[in-house]
Amino acid sequence: MEEFFASLYEWFGLNPLYSTDMGDHLRGWMCIDQSGYFGTNWYIMIGWSMIAITAFFYALQYHIIDDSRFNKKHHWWVMALIIIVLNFLLAFLIPFNTVQSGDFCSELNLTVADCIGFGLSNAVWSFVLFLLITSFKYPRHLGTNTRFTTFWKP
Amino acid sequence: MARLYIFAIGGTGSRVLKSLTMLLASGVKPNSDKNFEIVPIIIDPHKSNEDLKRTERLLGNYQTISNEAGLDNGFFSTKITTLDRLTTSQNRLSGSFTFNLQEVGGRKFSEYIGLSQLDKPNKALADILFSGKSINKRHEEVNLLDVEMDIGFVGNPNIGSIVLNQVKDSQEFKDFASNFNEDDRVFIISSIFGGTGAAGFPTILKNIRDAMNNRNIDGKGFLQDAKIGAVTVLPYFNIEKDSDSPIQKSDFIAKTKAALYYYKDNVTGNNSINSLYYIADNYSGKPYKNDPGDNGQKNDAHFVEMASALAIIDFLETPDSDLETSEGKALKPIYKEFGIRKDSSNIKFSDLEDYTERKIAMRLSQLVLFRKYLTEHLSNAIEKEAWSNDSPEINKKFIDDTFYRTNLSEFLSSFADWLKEMSDNKRGFSPFNLDSTIEALIEGRSVKSGWFSSKVDFSSMDNKLSKEGKGKTYSSASQKLIKLFYDTTEEILTSKFGLKN
Repeated sequence: MEEFFASLYEWFGLNPLYSTDMGDHLRGWMCIDQSGYFGTNWYIMIGWSMIAITAFFYALQYHIIDDSRFNKKHHWWVMALIIIVLNFLLAFLIPFNTVQSGDFCSELNLTVADCIGFGLSNAVWSFVLFLLITSFKYPRHLGTNTRFTTFWKP
Repeated sequence: MARLYIFAIGGTGSRVLKSLTMLLASGVKPNSDKNFEIVPIIIDPHKSNEDLKRTERLLGNYQTISNEAGLDNGFFSTKITTLDRLTTSQNRLSGSFTFNLQEVGGRKFSEYIGLSQLDKPNKALADILFSGKSINKRHEEVNLLDVEMDIGFVGNPNIGSIVLNQVKDSQEFKDFASNFNEDDRVFIISSIFGGTGAAGFPTILKNIRDAMNNRNIDGKGFLQDAKIGAVTVLPYFNIEKDSDSPIQKSDFIAKTKAALYYYKDNVTGNNSINSLYYIADNYSGKPYKNDPGDNGQKNDAHFVEMASALAIIDFLETPDSDLETSEGKALKPIYKEFGIRKDSSNIKFSDLEDYTERKIAMRLSQLVLFRKYLTEHLSNAIEKEAWSNDSPEINKKFIDDTFYRTNLSEFLSSFADWLKEMSDNKRGFSPFNLDSTIEALIEGRSVKSGWFSSKVDFSSMDNKLSKEGKGKTYSSASQKLIKLFYDTTEEILTSKFGLKN
C-alpha cells in the first residue's frame, strides 16, 4: 500500500507537486543515528485517512441524510468541496506542523510550498475518489432520494 | 364484469354524474365483492347546457386517463365507458355519453306532436293538456305548445314526458337492452322540481319495466326484472327572483308535490323501483342565477349533488338479495334519505356521519393532495427527484404529452373548480383549504407531530414518493404517476393526518 499511495501522490513520478525531499519525509525518512525509512509512513496514514473521510462524506450524503432537500448536483458539489477542503487541510497541516517545528531529518529541505503541493495532491485524489464512488450505479443506488445524484445531474 | 347503466336526466342529472365522476376518480368505491363498469347515458334536450358539456368533457378525460393508466391504480380505478363501446351492431352510435334526442332542436312542441295534423277533438285535448304559458329562447312569452325545446322543457314535465317517451324506440335504448345482462343494474338520476328530470324518471323506469311489450328490443326478460335504483333530487337550491322567468322558487314545492303524487301511483306505489333515494335541502342560501336555459345554464356544484352521487355508491353496495324483482315488481323496495351529523352552513368532514366521512374523506383528500403536488411542485421535481428518474421516467416529454397536459391536467383543474364551487355555494362544502400549505390542507385535521416526525411539505412528499417507488415495476409512465401518487398520498394521510379508510 505504501508504494500505491506514494505513486498516487507523486503522480507516478510524472509531475509531483512537491519535492523529492518531501516524498522521502512522507515515506518516513529518518537520519538521527542512521539514515533510512524508519519514521512514520505518512503516505499510508494520510492515504487511508483520505479514503475514510471521502467514504464518510459519501455515506453522509447518500445514505444518512439521503433527503430530497439535498440531492441536486449543486449539493454534490457542496459535499465535494467539503471533502476537498478537509483532505487538503489534513495533508497540508501534518507536514506543515513538522516543518514549523523542525522535527524532521536535517538532510531534507522541506518548504511550505511542498506542504501545499502535498495538500493539493491529497485534495485532488479525494475528489477523484468521490467522483468515482458516485459515478457508478452501486452503491449509490442503495440510497433512496439521492440514488440519481451525481456531479452532473440532476 | 357487471355493468351499471346510469341514466342522468336533465341539468341535475349531469351535475350528479359529474360528482360521481369526481368521486370515482378519487378512488371512492363501493364495499362490494362485485366490480361494476359504469355506462352513463345523459338525457337532456338542452345540448348547449354548460353543465352537460362540462360533464361530457370530464367523462371523456376520465375515460382516456383510465384507458391509458389502467384500472388497478387507486385513482380512476372504476371503468367508465360509452354505450357505443358495448355494441358491435352496424348502427353503431357515436362515442358520446349523451343520448341523442331526435327532432328536438329548433322545433316547437306543437310541431313535435304534429298539432296541425290532429283532428279537432285531439287538438282540443292537446290544448287542454298543454295549456299555459312559458318563454322561448328570446325571452318572449309564448304558449306552452309553442315552446322551442332546444333549451329543455323549461320546467314543464308534461311536455318532457311526451318527448322523452321516444327513448324506448331509440338506437341507444336498443343497444342498452341488447347488452343488458342479469347481473347488470340501472340507476336513474333526476330532479323532481323541474321539467326534464321530473318527466324523464318515470318515463325511463316505465320503459324498462315494460320492456316485454317493446317489440323493437332484445334482452326483455333481464330488463323487466332489472335491479333499478334512482335518486330523486328534491328542491335544494335557491334561485334569483325574476318575474319574467318561467322558473320560480315558489313553484318548486308545488311541482315537487305534484310529481311525488304521481310517483305514489306510478313509481313507489306499484313497486317499480328497487331502491329509491330521496335528497333535499331546505337551506335558503346563495341564490343561483335565474336561467331557464337560454344562457347555457351553468350552476355551481353543490354538496347535495355529491351526496346524491353517494346514493349510487350505496346502491352498488346493496346486495343482490335485497334487489330481487319479479315480473317487473321489486320484492323488497328500499327507500332511503341522506343526512348529515351537524346542520352546518359550511360542511366539513367532521359534520358528516361516520359512514360518509369514511367513504370520502381519505379518497378526496388523496386527489386534492395529488393535484396540489402536480400543480405547485411537479415542475421542480421532474427529472430531479429519484421517483421521477426511476424507470419508466416521468420526464419533461411525459408532461408535454396529451395524457398529462390535456387529459389529467384538465380533469384535475375541473376537480379543483368543482371543490371551489361547492365551497363557495351556500350551503357549502369546504373541507379543504386548497391554497394553504399541505399541513393545513384539511379543515379540522392537524398533522401529527413529535420529536422524530418530520413536517409534511413537498420535499417530504418527494422523500415518500421515492421510497414508495423504489424497486417497484410499472407498466407505463402514466400508470406509475397515478399508482405511485395514490399509494403515497394514502400513506401520508394515514400516518400524518390520521385519516382512515
